[in-house]
Amino acid sequence: MKKRDIISSLFWMAMGLGVCYGGYDLGLGTFHDPGSGFMFFGVGIILIGLSLIILIRAIKERPAIGELKVLWTGIRWKQVITILLALLLYAYLFVPLGFILSTVLLLIFLFKAVEPQRWRWAILGAIISTFAAYGVFHVWLKSPLPKGFLGIG
Amino acid sequence: MEFLNYLGIGFSVALQPSNLFYCFIGVFIGTLVGVLPGIGPVGAMSLLLPTTFKITPEAAIIMLAGIYYGAMYGGSTTSILVNIPGEAASVVTCLDGYQMARQGRAGPALGIAAFGSFIAGTLSILGLMFLAPPLSKLALRFGPPEYFTLMILGLTILIYLAQGAMPKALIMAAFGLVLGLVGLDSINARPRFTFGKMELIDGVGLVPIVMGLFGISEVLLNIEQTVRREVLKTRLKGLLPTAKDWKDSTGPIARGSLLGFFLGILPGGGAVISSFISYAIEKRLSKHPERFGKGTIEGVAGPESANNAATGGAFIPLMTLGIPPNVIMAMLLGAFMIHGITPGPLMMKQNPGLFWGVIVSMYIGNIMLLILNLPLITIWVQVLRVPYKFLSPLILLLCLIGVYSVNNVVFDIYIMLIFGIMGYLMKKFGYEGAPLVLAFVLGPLMENNLRKSLIISQGDFSIFFVRPLAAASLILALFLLISPLIPGLGRKRRVIPKGEVS
Repeated sequence: MKKRDIISSLFWMAMGLGVCYGGYDLGLGTFHDPGSGFMFFGVGIILIGLSLIILIRAIKERPAIGELKVLWTGIRWKQVITILLALLLYAYLFVPLGFILSTVLLLIFLFKAVEPQRWRWAILGAIISTFAAYGVFHVWLKSPLPKGFLGIG
Repeated sequence: MEFLNYLGIGFSVALQPSNLFYCFIGVFIGTLVGVLPGIGPVGAMSLLLPTTFKITPEAAIIMLAGIYYGAMYGGSTTSILVNIPGEAASVVTCLDGYQMARQGRAGPALGIAAFGSFIAGTLSILGLMFLAPPLSKLALRFGPPEYFTLMILGLTILIYLAQGAMPKALIMAAFGLVLGLVGLDSINARPRFTFGKMELIDGVGLVPIVMGLFGISEVLLNIEQTVRREVLKTRLKGLLPTAKDWKDSTGPIARGSLLGFFLGILPGGGAVISSFISYAIEKRLSKHPERFGKGTIEGVAGPESANNAATGGAFIPLMTLGIPPNVIMAMLLGAFMIHGITPGPLMMKQNPGLFWGVIVSMYIGNIMLLILNLPLITIWVQVLRVPYKFLSPLILLLCLIGVYSVNNVVFDIYIMLIFGIMGYLMKKFGYEGAPLVLAFVLGPLMENNLRKSLIISQGDFSIFFVRPLAAASLILALFLLISPLIPGLGRKRRVIPKGEVS
């Protein structure tokens, strides 16, 4: 875990510094009357301290060969990134395209991307799932879903 | 007599048709997510949290609680038939359950798991009924310093039990605290860490965080692996355990129930830990320890009873103190808050219908689960055969719409995706999500009680040391925190094998 711990500890150290700064900026108050930033500042200091512990431990640790490579060999990390990008795009297009259109498109993509299936099944599965979800959330639970430029839904 | 009176109130609430319906939905979904890998009770509860906005608080809590104990039942099915635990508390059931199935005894294994769970679940509800009222009375005497230090202790125990390095678990808790404090300051209404975003004024939502950490990240981790699940092709017959099976299992069920209940009260994954400890105890007590791991029924009966009894115990800190001991109870606390109810010592007086209704519904739910799990077991086995390539897009879809429908803002979807990525990376870098979520929920309560305590004592920190309970909690927490540094004690901490603390 040597390299991984160094990376993550540096991340948390930066986070701790940010939280401390933010807390200081909000005002620490006094012990008699703690201010809005009092707890942030304290927790920020704790974050920095803890990340230092992890960092020092990691530096002392013996390096493992190819440790970072293990993170992506033998696993389908490209799939993970593609799917994440698709989900972000979905969030972006959710309101402009509307629930039904954006969801059908996303599901067709997911059915093809997770493990390739025939187009016929992907499209059919996407349409059925979308309308089932629409039925449950919009019709039954009365949750307002965006209609989009087509005005359906 | 007072007790019977309360019980009567409980039954009158739990037996209302709509509450029975939501109880059934809860245990049904619980069994389903227990059976399905890739989504656990935490994910399912956060998915369904938005749907409870429009129903009564009683129905909401009854349904969400049903998901929790239902998942404990369902989880054993996959352990026994596929050798893959549906959730972390059923990991140990794989050892002997799967071996029994391979020897053609899947029926009795599933049977004793269900009966054991039923008996243990029932016993723990009885324990809850008797322990909760006196504890509530005691808790009424607690002030802000006691609450603050008890929460510190709760978080510390969770961190102590967390998997992997303790500094990492502490970092997660600290980060959770920071997240919990985002939004308006409860005392002077100043926006904090909102970065000018209107959506953050009310703070970061619990649902997007939990769904990201426990829903999206799980799916991502499952997608990157190409694991094939083989359902054991065995004919299920003779679900009822034989007289000998019963004789062998009585002791383990009784011990598992007691152990599970009391460990369940403690913060941090009572269900998971108690199932492992129960297995270890049964193995040590057995006249034939060599049979463990080769398909002995005691190895299924004990742990399965323990993990179900723990679910009842876990309700105690939440219902009497208002402090959730684990992530699932934190979700329930969230559900209570949404309906404007603060669980704690006053709840039993102010909302007896809700308090006793939920407890009695758990008893009814246990009967429903017995019916759902034994005669209908073949249906759950069919569910297991649904391939992951169909399942994962659907879980993602449910997360997306679920999180959107809480507040109808796209911002929450982004938050969920960010935490999904974070949860995925956390797994790779050896961090665990449970301390983060619990600290997130406790954060605002802790800050409030800390500030109140300091106002009471006029800035004097000794207030935490002169009050006996506060001092005891702090000393115990401190001991747990430094114990890994003490030689001999430190090593033992890692012995407890765990999947997730939830």
